[in-house]
Amino acid sequence: MSFLDIVIQLGRGLGYTLLVTLCCSVTGVLVGLIIACIRRIGFYWLRPLLDAYAYVFRGIPVLVLLFIVYFGFPSIGLKVTPLLAMVLSLGLISAAYLSEVFRGALNSVDADEILAAEAMGLSRLQVFNCIELPQMLRFSLPGMINEFTTVLKYSPFAYTVGIPEITKQAMTLSAATLHGVEIYFAVGVLYFLIFRILLFAVQLIEKRYRIPGLVLKQRSNI
Amino acid sequence: MNGWARFHSDLLEQSPLILMGLSKTLQLTAIISLSGLIFGIVIFYASLSRNNALRCVINGYISFFIGMPLIVLLFLLYYGLPQWGIKLSPFQVAVFSFTLNVAAYNAAYLTSAYNGLDHAEMEAARAQGFSPRQIFKLITLPQVMRLSVPALTNQVIGNLKDSSVAFLIQYTEFFARIQELAATNFQFFKAYLLAAIVYLALVSLIVIAARLIEKRLVIPGFTS
Amino acid sequence: MPVIEVRDLVKKFGEQIILNGVNLDIYEGDLKVVMGSSGSGKSTLLRCLNRLEEPSGGRIVFRGENIMGADVDVRALRQSIGFVFQQFALYRHLSVLENVTLALRKLKKLSAAEAKHKALAELERLNMASHAGKYPSQLSGGQKQRVAIARALAMDPAVVFFDEPTSALDPLMTREVADMMNRLHDEGVTMLCVTHDLKLAGQISDKVVFLDKGIVRAEASIATLSQNHDDERIRAFFAREADY
Ligand SMILES: Nc1ncnc2c1ncn2[C@@H]1O[C@H](COP(=O)(O)OP(=O)(O)OP(=O)(O)O)[C@@H](O)[C@H]1O
Ligand SMILES: [Mg+2]
Repeated sequence: MSFLDIVIQLGRGLGYTLLVTLCCSVTGVLVGLIIACIRRIGFYWLRPLLDAYAYVFRGIPVLVLLFIVYFGFPSIGLKVTPLLAMVLSLGLISAAYLSEVFRGALNSVDADEILAAEAMGLSRLQVFNCIELPQMLRFSLPGMINEFTTVLKYSPFAYTVGIPEITKQAMTLSAATLHGVEIYFAVGVLYFLIFRILLFAVQLIEKRYRIPGLVLKQRSNI
Repeated sequence: MNGWARFHSDLLEQSPLILMGLSKTLQLTAIISLSGLIFGIVIFYASLSRNNALRCVINGYISFFIGMPLIVLLFLLYYGLPQWGIKLSPFQVAVFSFTLNVAAYNAAYLTSAYNGLDHAEMEAARAQGFSPRQIFKLITLPQVMRLSVPALTNQVIGNLKDSSVAFLIQYTEFFARIQELAATNFQFFKAYLLAAIVYLALVSLIVIAARLIEKRLVIPGFTS
Repeated sequence: MPVIEVRDLVKKFGEQIILNGVNLDIYEGDLKVVMGSSGSGKSTLLRCLNRLEEPSGGRIVFRGENIMGADVDVRALRQSIGFVFQQFALYRHLSVLENVTLALRKLKKLSAAEAKHKALAELERLNMASHAGKYPSQLSGGQKQRVAIARALAMDPAVVFFDEPTSALDPLMTREVADMMNRLHDEGVTMLCVTHDLKLAGQISDKVVFLDKGIVRAEASIATLSQNHDDERIRAFFAREADY
């Protein structure tokens, strides 16, 4: 097997890795946003439920939830595709984390600005859309970057439900070539590069939308 | 026999193995939490060095391990190394890989706490005649550790959850035993649900312990 | 023999010359005041004297010993010089008592009991013993300063440096700070105080050293300096500071 073959096979896995990461991240952001918005706008009776969701999904290992969804659901009559299983496990877990990130960011929006907007006669929903949401998204960027990184790092679990992503390709290659150390090392570097490229892309976006003076001291562990 | 009864009897029958698996999970979590913390502190200490080359290496290390999936390292050591004639046990591979990974995260938490510190205090310690190592031990580390308690305890929770990955390299921890249980009676949903509940309960215990530690360590006016 | 003898001290940051040949003597029991406008290098001077900054040239003699070389035990030097910082820099994770005992225990190697005894005596001297169990965040600015002074005095230093002791406090506190420093002076504590606070300078010393453009421009009483001095820079300084 030539070097080129190896690169091509890893490249095939790369597509799946990106697909899984993208689907789970998007799910995480959307569901996380919905939860944070519901919490902010009202629906007080829903709060205990949302709290429970955040607590449970942050307390269960990704792998365990993935297995519940993919191997467990059929035994109660629900069949899920591998990608959907990833979305329902990794995606929803990341939604739980992101809902907390968004909640924290919403709490940092200046209350006076909201009051001022309401005083101008804007409706609650308008205030949310025009004042709170844009600021909150900027505030939550470091937390979102952390979460996307986490999703990328858990994406290899997809191989356990049969998605031929990078790690799966590496396993096959390692068995075929007996160069496991080199291949896994290359795969590690590959993941690192994806991570850096994603980070770079997010930073470009952040720069594009940056507002001078509107920064929040928030921790990012990167 | 109906499904529940079957599951129950299998669970009972395999409970010694499952409990043994659980104790392995807890053991692994405890070991990597401790080794990850100690090594993380060492990394953090080294990152404060004035030596540019060393700092570059450290930053590269932290960044690389934060950006790379743990599973790749586990597979490299467990499936790759034997091809070079080096055979490590699943436990050895798990401890080694987790330590490197967890230490990178902990070092990152400590560094971000460090960046928020009031450096005038370290200057004052220097003026009092303390050596750099004494300043680190008496001023920097206690402050940074206190500020990082939430992040560090979250990491312990992460370690517990991530330890389930070790079953992918044939380490017979809790989740591996649950797999076996599921395989004997094909009651996957019940078996995995049980696993989820157990993990959730353990996480809750860590959360409670963390709250207690935080409360004990609280110092008026000392927050990030 | 002076406690500290400074000769032709030069300090540069890159191209920028901050101190350009400073001469200064501090004798035992002195309460020496160095004045100068903001940015004139007062803090830099203090930091050079205990080698927190590396001087670029000149000579510093501490109790008869040259302390400029690379082979000087700087940590021993620093232990015999107390330093009260502009913002006090108390250790936030330690109680008032622990702030004072830390160096006693770890540097002077006193036992916990001895260190506590000594620390409480110093805190008593500064009227802070009743706050021994509090944390820095629970103290007012003036109280923090007194803890910082106790922390410095506990090491029985040969001299105590004060960097702008009134700048982080309410202007109304100047009198109190001056009274405290005068009392320490009466008790025989050797002190070097840098400040641009005219009021403070006038209340603690009848002779001040005026630092400007990296050199000592004059050493005279406040009255002499303030009354239409023939040095134009000094006149400008007093005109400005008098506005406060
Ligand atoms: N580490 C450094 N690197 C470069 N320049 C410095 C450094 N420290 C101080 N300076 C410069 O040296 C000059 C004197 O600073 P210094 O802090 O000694 O002034 P000061 O008289 O204490 O002022 P203030 O009254 O504001 O405290 C300033 O222009 C400052 O910018
Ligand atoms: Mg200064």
